[in-house]
Amino acid sequence: MSRLDSHDEFFIGYLGVPPQLKRFLLGLIPVLVLGALAFAFILPPLHFDHFNLGKRTKVPEFEGLLVGEPSPHLLVPRTGDVGTVSDFSLYLLSGTGKTSPKPKVLEHVDKWVKLKGTPFHRNHLTVIATKSAEPIDRPTSGPTQPAEGSSLGEFSLKGEIVDGKCYPGVMKPGRTKTHRSCAIRCIAGGVPPVFVVHNSVGDKLYFLLSDLDGKAVNDKVLDRVADPVQITGEVVQYADAFVLKADPATYQLL
Amino acid sequence: MGVAYKAVQWNRQKFVYDIILLTTVVFYLFFFEGISLHFSSDLDIKGIWIRAFGSAAFILLHVILSIGPLSRLSPKFLPLLYNRRHMGVTMFILALLHARDALAWYHDFGNLEPIVSLFVSNTHYADFIRFPFEALGGVALVILFLMAATSHDFWLTNLTAPVWKALHMGVYLAYGLLVGHVVLGALETNTHPLLTLAVGVGFVWIVGIHLITALREAQKDGAPLFGPPAQPKVDADGFVHVGSVQDIPENRAKIAVVAGERVAIFKYEGKISAISNVCQHQNGPLGEGKIVDGCITCPWHGYQYLPESGISPPPFTEKIPTFNVKLQGDQILVSAKPNLPGTPVVPAVIGQV
Ligand code: HEM
Ligand code: HEM
Ligand code: FES
Repeated sequence: MSRLDSHDEFFIGYLGVPPQLKRFLLGLIPVLVLGALAFAFILPPLHFDHFNLGKRTKVPEFEGLLVGEPSPHLLVPRTGDVGTVSDFSLYLLSGTGKTSPKPKVLEHVDKWVKLKGTPFHRNHLTVIATKSAEPIDRPTSGPTQPAEGSSLGEFSLKGEIVDGKCYPGVMKPGRTKTHRSCAIRCIAGGVPPVFVVHNSVGDKLYFLLSDLDGKAVNDKVLDRVADPVQITGEVVQYADAFVLKADPATYQLL
Repeated sequence: MGVAYKAVQWNRQKFVYDIILLTTVVFYLFFFEGISLHFSSDLDIKGIWIRAFGSAAFILLHVILSIGPLSRLSPKFLPLLYNRRHMGVTMFILALLHARDALAWYHDFGNLEPIVSLFVSNTHYADFIRFPFEALGGVALVILFLMAATSHDFWLTNLTAPVWKALHMGVYLAYGLLVGHVVLGALETNTHPLLTLAVGVGFVWIVGIHLITALREAQKDGAPLFGPPAQPKVDADGFVHVGSVQDIPENRAKIAVVAGERVAIFKYEGKISAISNVCQHQNGPLGEGKIVDGCITCPWHGYQYLPESGISPPPFTEKIPTFNVKLQGDQILVSAKPNLPGTPVVPAVIGQV
């Protein structure tokens, strides 16, 4: 049987710590404490998604055309020389929770509105957590009527369906399995689903999803959120965004 | 309880222990947040806390689970065991904060009650890779709660030691569930090889050190892990040979397995007494204890028993079973039948036949 040593030291909590044992503990405890603390330094950088900063911009008001389908969004005219790019920027809209914008906002669909909310963006994907919207007059200068979407043809794309609110920055990481339940809750509540695709050179491409009739797919994609999926469908360029039109029943789990 | 009449209660050791424990936890959380913020924007503070609390609880759980086997391998680790329950409660509180923040972060502000959402958002319970790992953490948390809630000695006394011990064995189930929680959750998302390695090494360490200890204990008991145990020599009166007087240092014990039960055989003042190896307090191994002030003193928290009767010195009243002993030359024989707890037994006197 192992014994402490020839002095037969014996620790009793309510008495003191015997000297040899004390020396042992004075060595052991700092090692234990520092060992545990080391993890606080090692672990954080090992987590992915620390570098894709979701940003909150402090512009509380936007003016643009409120559009309802496939998912609620705001088309904001661009000013200045836009070259070959679209005349409009597309901003996804959500409510302030894991929800779509309030009915009081959505009743202005197809009208020009002044919209209040907090915008979050990651790369060129922006979502506005919408607080309110009030109708305004159609502007008299600048672009006022967005062009129809133009088809770029049929593509088969591999990526992940994320929710259009957390992923741009509200609740990071906003993708993959640890975020799955949250994304399901968001998309079920009306936050636009977004299909994230990494192309061959590592750029990220974002696609809004619609069914073949151009309608929202939210309730039909819940089971495919945060999984690697392949979607085959028509890509339509619309404002400065892409819409991927496909029947959710044909999404393939990879 | 102790003959020194010092209550086995709050004392200097416990304060020092708790201060080291709590300071370490606070610094861990503080550093974790600082390092994370160094890499992150200001938007996901809550996400950082979820990770900080979760990892702190998980690391602490590894420490807690290591103390038991380490103390069996060397009594030098016993001071860590002394106040281990405070570590357990601290770990539970960290786990609770982690779960609370995860629930709020991922499930609040939606169209379902958060707690409902936790269990029904991801329903792939039959799928390994897509398994809702949160549910595993939830079940583990319930086990940890039951342990923390009953950790005070009040419950230990009222539930009885065996029931309490059985409840506390649930910590191993919880550990298994949590390994699943981390592997099927955080590790599927954060696939950095170092993270996977850390969880893997932790798991192998915990399983390994328990196996090594179990082997060592089995060896000490003379019972091979596989196959039938060696048959001890039993005399006509039902007394079992357990070895020689020379095997036992003064004021110490030898542990022998008699009729399937561990018995602590103490040598002191030229006498031999045998009592059950199981302490009334938390089932500590009395045979690894020592005679202090004439009392058998448990190595875990210092509960004491008179060697002749297995009763704690007055005014305390804990009682454990005793065993009749006799000597043949220097050979010790112990009755295979335990006496009722607290039954006085005349010690065998060395050198008298
Ligand atoms: C969050 C607060 C607390 C927790 C989680 C907690 C938990 C525990 C646990 C787990 C033990 C058993 C320790 C062991 O023997 O290993 C214990 C013992 C004890 N606690 Fe607390 N405790 C708390 C606060 C307090 C306070 C405020 C007091 C008194 C003012 C107190 C008085 C005691 C005493 C006297 C013992 C010794 C009981 C004995 O060993 O027989 N505790 N506590
Ligand atoms: C209802 C109970 C629980 C829920 C809902 C829950 C939820 C989660 C979630 C969502 C994550 C992923 C966080 C991320 O994105 O990085 C996570 C990670 C984790 N959880 Fe839990 N959890 C629960 C219970 C527990 C318990 C009881 C423990 C441990 C004692 C624990 C330990 C961990 C650890 C160590 C991680 C990895 C943290 C990291 O990435 O550094 N969880 N948990
Ligand atoms: S004194 Fe706590 S187990 Fe013996």
